[in-house]
Amino acid sequence: MNQVLRALFAPGFFASDPVHAALVVGAVVALVTGAVGVFTVIRGQAFAGHALGEVGSAGGSAAFLGGANPLWGFMGVAIVAAGLIELLGLHRPRARDVATGLVLGAGLGLAALFLYLDATSSSTTGVAVTILFGSLFAVSQQMLPSIVALSAVSLVVLAVCYRMLLLSSLSSDLAAARGVPVRALGIAYLVIMAVAVSLAAETIGAILATALVVGPPATALRLTKRPGGALVVAGLIGVAAVWLGIVLAYDSYYWPPAGHGWPVSFFVVALVFLFYLAAGAVTGMTQARRSRRSERAARRTASGCAEHPGDAA
Amino acid sequence: MGQMLTRRAGGRGRSAVTLLTGAALISTVAAACAPGAASDPGKIVAVGAESEYANVIAQIGGPYVAVSAVMSNPNTDPHTFEASPQVAQTVGAARLVVQNGAGYDGFMNTIESATPSSTRRVIDVQSLLGLPATIENPHLWYSPTTMPKVAQAIGKDLAALAPSHAAYFTAEVTVFDASLAPWTKAIAALKSSFSGAPVATTEPVADYVLQAAGLDDLTPWPFQADIMNGVDPSAQDVSLEQGFLTGHQVKVFVYNQQVTDSLTQSLLTLAQQEGVPVVGVYETMPTPGYDYQTWMVAEVDAVQQALAGGASTSRL
Repeated sequence: MNQVLRALFAPGFFASDPVHAALVVGAVVALVTGAVGVFTVIRGQAFAGHALGEVGSAGGSAAFLGGANPLWGFMGVAIVAAGLIELLGLHRPRARDVATGLVLGAGLGLAALFLYLDATSSSTTGVAVTILFGSLFAVSQQMLPSIVALSAVSLVVLAVCYRMLLLSSLSSDLAAARGVPVRALGIAYLVIMAVAVSLAAETIGAILATALVVGPPATALRLTKRPGGALVVAGLIGVAAVWLGIVLAYDSYYWPPAGHGWPVSFFVVALVFLFYLAAGAVTGMTQARRSRRSERAARRTASGCAEHPGDAA
Repeated sequence: MGQMLTRRAGGRGRSAVTLLTGAALISTVAAACAPGAASDPGKIVAVGAESEYANVIAQIGGPYVAVSAVMSNPNTDPHTFEASPQVAQTVGAARLVVQNGAGYDGFMNTIESATPSSTRRVIDVQSLLGLPATIENPHLWYSPTTMPKVAQAIGKDLAALAPSHAAYFTAEVTVFDASLAPWTKAIAALKSSFSGAPVATTEPVADYVLQAAGLDDLTPWPFQADIMNGVDPSAQDVSLEQGFLTGHQVKVFVYNQQVTDSLTQSLLTLAQQEGVPVVGVYETMPTPGYDYQTWMVAEVDAVQQALAGGASTSRL
């Protein structure tokens, strides 16, 4: 048993401060992005979610210039961008996609400027990698309380708006007919998504943030059609991907090139993708079994009909 | 305006992912870093890729050279420097260029091949010292054996460019060599009293002088290289480095002032909390009030004071 544990967890895993911080941050963020992401997938806003993450990189890199933690930059810019997308895109999905694309381009342009300034006029070398691809093992311990608090607030808001949000996500016309303030709810949702995406960006980087926001929820919705269940399953899948990613990244210290661990973001994103494929295989198998069963049942019914021709009459 | 993700080739990935915007953006920013050489007729226009080399050129050339430095801002990381059109112009006009090599300032080669000149002399310090381009630690000017050879090469090239002042240049090389004595003495003193003392570093910046003084740098090389290259060190190495400070296993924490991120900052805070003396080191000459020799003496003095009295010298 001990040997198995030692093979799974490289020496020092449970005693390492960077690992502790990464496990806590990763789990909290995965729970929030899982819950928020289910609505992102149902509402068909994966592209907006991705855009908010990348646009946030402008804020993250600007925060470095000012000496602040990138999380505050990610969040400030992502929330403004969410407002802009809503303002420019109005309600028509096609206009919203164009607006999202425009805001995305403008935000990345700013990120290019700020990252350049970071690299050339301040002493922050690894900033481009940290902002774009994340540095989970280097997340500052002082940020832990803020990350946990932000996550808790997002989850509480989501719980309060849950029924209205679900109704408006499934059918905005029906929700409007029932008196749900669809527009205000849409803006509120984009803001929550901006916060969730920013937390994901702090964890696995601005470019990869979308993997956590969309991946586990999409996987969960393959496994269960009940939205409430999907929320929980998405959170659990996210936590599993992040924690397993942390373990693998820690173990990769002993893989070539020796002495340099592989980036934890790579493992997290790869696992998210594998889980999605695996869920597809699982649902594919159950569907095949179900259709075979119903086929058999149909055949049985058909033969039953043949045995009692009089019944049909 | 094109945005591209470049990974500068050089050494063992001695590079940093740098986002570049177009030339207009570069020029507005980098103008401050590249003062144009005075185009005084009769003076030899010379360029030092790093301010320490520019400083030595100025000391040897005296009134007969007009020197400018490409990288001189002590608040930026030279590893991520990207050349601007102004720098290209300065290098294009120069007749003597001194650059570090070892992948540290690879952009100089790019500029030189873009502005070909048959009369320009280029001293590549890494080749001058006979070191391979793949040498792991490019901070060659921290080695006490480097600058005397560079000074000699500068004197020789200046004499070839302006033969009428050859005697002056030769005399200045001798003066320069003699002026390094306080530094070498300080290193020897450090070695005699603290040889083998354990230290931790964030980066290999001052490693050559630490080695010359016989100090024992406990920080594993991959950690130093990762910080230098702007990638995340492994969690194992971070724990190890934190352990050096919390376990008081090191007498000094040598901190690169020019390359900081949240990780190195948290290590700095940890060192301060634990009462481990901190010595800030620089990749280019801190300004103002330092020349190469006094800068090097100041760094060694700072280490000496940290070892002898536990005093921190965070900034020069």
